Amino acid sequence: MTTLNHKQLETLSLICRSGASDASRALSKWLDRDIQVSLDQIEQVSLDAATELLGPVDATVCACCMRISGGVNGQLLLGFDEESGLMLCDALLSREATSNEWGELEISAAMETTNIVGCAFLNALAMTFPKATHSPVNSGDATWIPTPPVFVRDFAASIMQFALVDQACEFDRVLVARTLFTIDGMPVSWRLLLIPDAASLEQLARSLR
Amino acid sequence: MNKLTESEETLVAMAGIGVAHRKGTLRTLLGSCIGVALYDRKFKIAGLAHVVMPDSMGRNQPVGKYADTAIPETIRQINSLAGGGRITLSAKIAGGANMFSHVSPNNTNTIGEQNIVAVEKILAAMDIPILARHLGGNAGRRMVVEAETGIVQIHIIGQPIAQL
Repeated sequence: MTTLNHKQLETLSLICRSGASDASRALSKWLDRDIQVSLDQIEQVSLDAATELLGPVDATVCACCMRISGGVNGQLLLGFDEESGLMLCDALLSREATSNEWGELEISAAMETTNIVGCAFLNALAMTFPKATHSPVNSGDATWIPTPPVFVRDFAASIMQFALVDQACEFDRVLVARTLFTIDGMPVSWRLLLIPDAASLEQLARSLR
Repeated sequence: MNKLTESEETLVAMAGIGVAHRKGTLRTLLGSCIGVALYDRKFKIAGLAHVVMPDSMGRNQPVGKYADTAIPETIRQINSLAGGGRITLSAKIAGGANMFSHVSPNNTNTIGEQNIVAVEKILAAMDIPILARHLGGNAGRRMVVEAETGIVQIHIIGQPIAQL
């Protein structure tokens, strides 16, 4: 089991805070509202606990998933409950709470939002990572490449199983960075999760100062 | 071990194992993982393993995580509830979805399929017949096993509940 020590988690937190800050700016511009994305916690949790990171295990939730490769390989997920997700769509489409189901327009809005948040987050990480580490993880390649996001609406635990499987194949506890969102100062139930795969977790353990 | 003897419901977590005797139900949520329900009709004992990976490669913990350790352990727990009586098991299996197929790397593309192959191979080696399968696809599943009847219900969001 690869376990990061307190100092390593602190360094990783610093890197992710930079990502969250850039994601805040990008999302505020995209939605034309004051959106704050802040790092909630970076922790290594049991598989059992990790399956509840998007909500109660059999709650219906939505998530947009991007697979990332380059500096760190793994998954980046923007997850939200139905109400919060549709609220996002209304804000984006300048509508007054009219979305009540996931149509093509709403799904497209969620995916584009994930694209913007995810890329801002990853770009910041790519810039910060080499300065904070001392390994070849990123020294010659500061590009973190995400796939286009994929939208799913499913049980919270089912979605998390997929996101966790790359780490779960090697470890019994998984490293997850999670964030909190506010819109105009009001908290909303969106979650941005960065979940490196097993090989990247081992690289992180070797490289973080 | 999650053990039930009355009309309770218990959640079998990822890499967990649950058993229920007579009136309990066992519930788990599946994505790429496989739910292996084992049932003894005579004693009305149900077991449910939430298998995450196909092969332990010699690792023995957590026992419920791998197909080759989870299935024997579930049988051991069922045997324990049967109190030494001779059990006759049958199986129903579900899960193995690939929810994000086009963003999966090659290894996770097939993790659900690898789990299915491993579970079927182990059950065959133990002469445990598989009475029903609800496998593959790209959606998560809620799997509920009733100890009284051995009936398995599968719920996929947006679809009617399937009964196995």
